[in-house]
Amino acid sequence: MDTNVGPDEMIIHMGPQHVAQPGPFRLNVKLKGETVVDSEVELGFIHKGIEKILESKTYLQGIPIVDRICYLAALTNEEAFVGSVERLAGIEPTERSQYIRVIVEELSRIQSHLLGYGEYASFVGFVSMFMYPIAVREQILDLLEMTTGARITHSFLRFGGVRDDLPEGFREKAKEVFANVEKALQEWENMMETDLIYKKRTVGVGVLTADVAKDLGVAGPPLRATGVPFDIRKDEPYLVYNDLDFKVCTETAGDIFARIKVRFAEIRESMYIIEQALDQMPPGPLFNEETPYGKRTPIMRIPPGEVFYRVEDPRGEMGFYMVSDGSDKPYRVKIRGPVYPTMQALPPLIEGVQLADVVGIAGSMDACTSEADR
Amino acid sequence: MDAEQIIKSLTTKFPDVISDAKVDSDIRISAYSEAEKIVEVCKYLKEELQFGHLSAVTAIDQIQKNEIDVVYLIASYDHPVVLKLKARLPRDNPEIESIVPVYWNANWYERETYELFGVQFKNHPDLRNLVLPDELLGDWPLRKDYKGFPNRTAKNLV
Repeated sequence: MDTNVGPDEMIIHMGPQHVAQPGPFRLNVKLKGETVVDSEVELGFIHKGIEKILESKTYLQGIPIVDRICYLAALTNEEAFVGSVERLAGIEPTERSQYIRVIVEELSRIQSHLLGYGEYASFVGFVSMFMYPIAVREQILDLLEMTTGARITHSFLRFGGVRDDLPEGFREKAKEVFANVEKALQEWENMMETDLIYKKRTVGVGVLTADVAKDLGVAGPPLRATGVPFDIRKDEPYLVYNDLDFKVCTETAGDIFARIKVRFAEIRESMYIIEQALDQMPPGPLFNEETPYGKRTPIMRIPPGEVFYRVEDPRGEMGFYMVSDGSDKPYRVKIRGPVYPTMQALPPLIEGVQLADVVGIAGSMDACTSEADR
Repeated sequence: MDAEQIIKSLTTKFPDVISDAKVDSDIRISAYSEAEKIVEVCKYLKEELQFGHLSAVTAIDQIQKNEIDVVYLIASYDHPVVLKLKARLPRDNPEIESIVPVYWNANWYERETYELFGVQFKNHPDLRNLVLPDELLGDWPLRKDYKGFPNRTAKNLV
């Protein structure tokens, strides 16, 4: 960004500590009056060097580390990591553990979207709205906790399976929670559809068109809100998504309002997927008997090779590019996070909008600095 | 368009540039490209073969071969094939043309690859550090011969 300012221009630094930010990053905005003329994102305030750390840890030790990339998507991060190791080693998880993975990952998607909605609502000025999705999300976290033993960083997936089976009473509890989520979603939708002020601030604001979104490399709900049905679960099915019936939720408007609608539709779709998975789940073991790497194998040597494995994160396309040299530690891991291109696309997206809309637009993209920094 | 067709189209168009092109699976192909021609190859991929979505740009430090491989992971919105395109660079002076004119979102990926591996991207619009502090620039932390973080912190404390 050009730091020379004209007579009627000024530069505002938003962050690195700002209430309306999902983590520390700096957004430098150049304003002309109230209108954004130029902007720039600065990262690096919580760079953790996870790619380097993974090179010095054995594969099993890597699982808790990848949880910490972004706690909202811990299970999909684990899936991307564990799945790429499985592809390198040629392990196939058992069918039952694949279903359990689908269930926990979809739960993780629901809670991520709920928190994203809460944050976003507070960004557009409805601060007390933050508490309502959090209350509902806590029930989803209870489901995750009774399965994995932890609320946010689970370390639940293992190579070729999962750590534990679903607990007793999960199905009944899930049914109860999903009814609450559905009720809450209807209430919020009703509020959004009827509130004039909310609509004024969201409809037609921060519009992305399909071509621009593709050019910017944005994926996930912001891309699907422009009408592009790009979803790794459909395009490149992993686990048992092929056997499950679900649709890719899209909208056509591409504005803030549409992005939130896509997220709500995805919450419903995720609940539908979980219900199906609970019905279809076959009995059986969590690990294959002949698997060389059981859940109690701290050191395992992976055959040399390279793999790029992608999964659909709550926020878009999550991929791990992993290179193994035949030792017990990965030679190189590249984490392709979904938020990175989303945050990169922020400056062109907010060019020409009012300053008050900047946080709303940024919030609707559901960014997570922790993941962009890794 | 399937994996075989893409490889055929790519090798007929650039016979001297593309080498080691092979099908890894139904949806994954990999190839090596000459570093000088990377922009032409990417342009062809984007315009003719529907590879419209750049997933990532990264690098691998091949310290035994004294080389750095720059890796482009390119996907598509129209077909499920992902291409892993690599370019070999000498380790002591890695330099390659920037592909930002073709893929807009390569900007940050190239900046990150630059600060972590020391790969110079020529004609990049704004090549400076993205996630690292200024003091660490020039250490190239993701290279295999990086001395490690504790040394740096000790140095910084003194």
